Amino acid sequence: MDIEQKVKEIIIEELGVEASEVTLEANFIEDLGADSLDTVELIMKFEEEFEIDIADEEAEKLTTVGKAVDYLTSKVG
Amino acid sequence: MVTIPQLKIGNLVAKIPIIQGGMGVGISMSGLASAVANAGGIGVISSVGLGLLDVSSNSSYREGNKIALRQEIRKARDLTSGILGLNIMVAISDFDDMVRIALEEAIDILFLGAGLPLRLPKGISMDFLRSIKTKIAPIVSSGRAAKIIFKSWDKYYQHVPDAVVVEGPKAGGHLGFKRNQIDDPDFALEKLIPSVCEAIVPFEKKYDKKIPVIAGGGVFTGEDILTMMKLGASGVQMGTRFVATHECDAADAFKAQYLACKKEDIVIIQSPVGMPGRAIKSDFLRDVESGIKHPFTCPWKCLKTCDYRVAPYCISQALTNAKVGKMQEGFSFAGVNAWRVNKIVSVKELMDSLVREFEEAAQKQTLATNAV
Repeated sequence: MDIEQKVKEIIIEELGVEASEVTLEANFIEDLGADSLDTVELIMKFEEEFEIDIADEEAEKLTTVGKAVDYLTSKVG
Repeated sequence: MVTIPQLKIGNLVAKIPIIQGGMGVGISMSGLASAVANAGGIGVISSVGLGLLDVSSNSSYREGNKIALRQEIRKARDLTSGILGLNIMVAISDFDDMVRIALEEAIDILFLGAGLPLRLPKGISMDFLRSIKTKIAPIVSSGRAAKIIFKSWDKYYQHVPDAVVVEGPKAGGHLGFKRNQIDDPDFALEKLIPSVCEAIVPFEKKYDKKIPVIAGGGVFTGEDILTMMKLGASGVQMGTRFVATHECDAADAFKAQYLACKKEDIVIIQSPVGMPGRAIKSDFLRDVESGIKHPFTCPWKCLKTCDYRVAPYCISQALTNAKVGKMQEGFSFAGVNAWRVNKIVSVKELMDSLVREFEEAAQKQTLATNAV
């Protein structure tokens, strides 16, 4: 499965949102209704699923679906 | 006769299950913390901004904080052989420095709040963490936050914190809640305690250790302590009551605000840090509210979350001013019950009265149960 697809599936599952809402431009907090704890859980899930370590400074920058996809692609792709 | 239970955190045993909450800037330092430790509770120094208080220091703010923290811990240690804690805000820029110094000085317990302590500073390894005597207790405002922190530690360190403090919306100072949650009964401390207890059960099982839950925020009497314990807490964290003691490290003018304030004077403010906070209304805060700015130059960005370019005032400076009694140029944080404070007493007198109230209330309840 490609990374973008996998990232989107994790987001849908973790945030309980519809697939149609998860566009690359969607901001986790503003568009997908995540709170600060949700974003932390999401990052932990990415780490688990992709078996990588995301530093806090990096995690803070992953504010949208697209940014997460790009970052994870560069790390594991 | 019912006696108040001890608070056990691993091998640490506090005779009285009362933790004096860390209060910054400079409200709980070595004076107050050592007095509480001597009275059988856990005394907590607040690490925030200690360097700013030491005007004799000519080192940089960052270095100054390190030196001042080390001195303050040693000073407290000289005054007591009881249990000493240190409160460090996760949101401060020199969090890593503060944690390292606290561990080097072998503080008994670290309380980490104002942010999620998901990980400790880089370089602190799993083996090191397991080998140290210092206990670590995050401060949370929900069962969910507790779960996330414990999950993160379990993953990175295969080790979990030794205790957890749950601070409800009636606390003083910065609050881990949104404004609309503060008066919402669903977020009351009484609701949060069971949810935090539940969140840590899997970790207690996995690591085969008891992780005590400590409740804080609005606890005022010995009877309140009993109520919290009945809900699952093993101890309480109290701040406001300890301000009104002779040993509290704040200036008399600061304490006088606690004595003078009325119920309606305790208000919620929006702190420049980006969180709501509970404080005593003052001319300074009235000015802020009406848009009068207190221009300042930020000596160094002490809080990760502070947007110092738009902040109407420097909170660190305002709180430091209040600590030294310059109330016109600052304000005091306070818990929801601060208006009930009407006397300055000694820490010993306060602790004795809380224990007595607890035991009387417990006794009464036992008698009532037996009668049924």
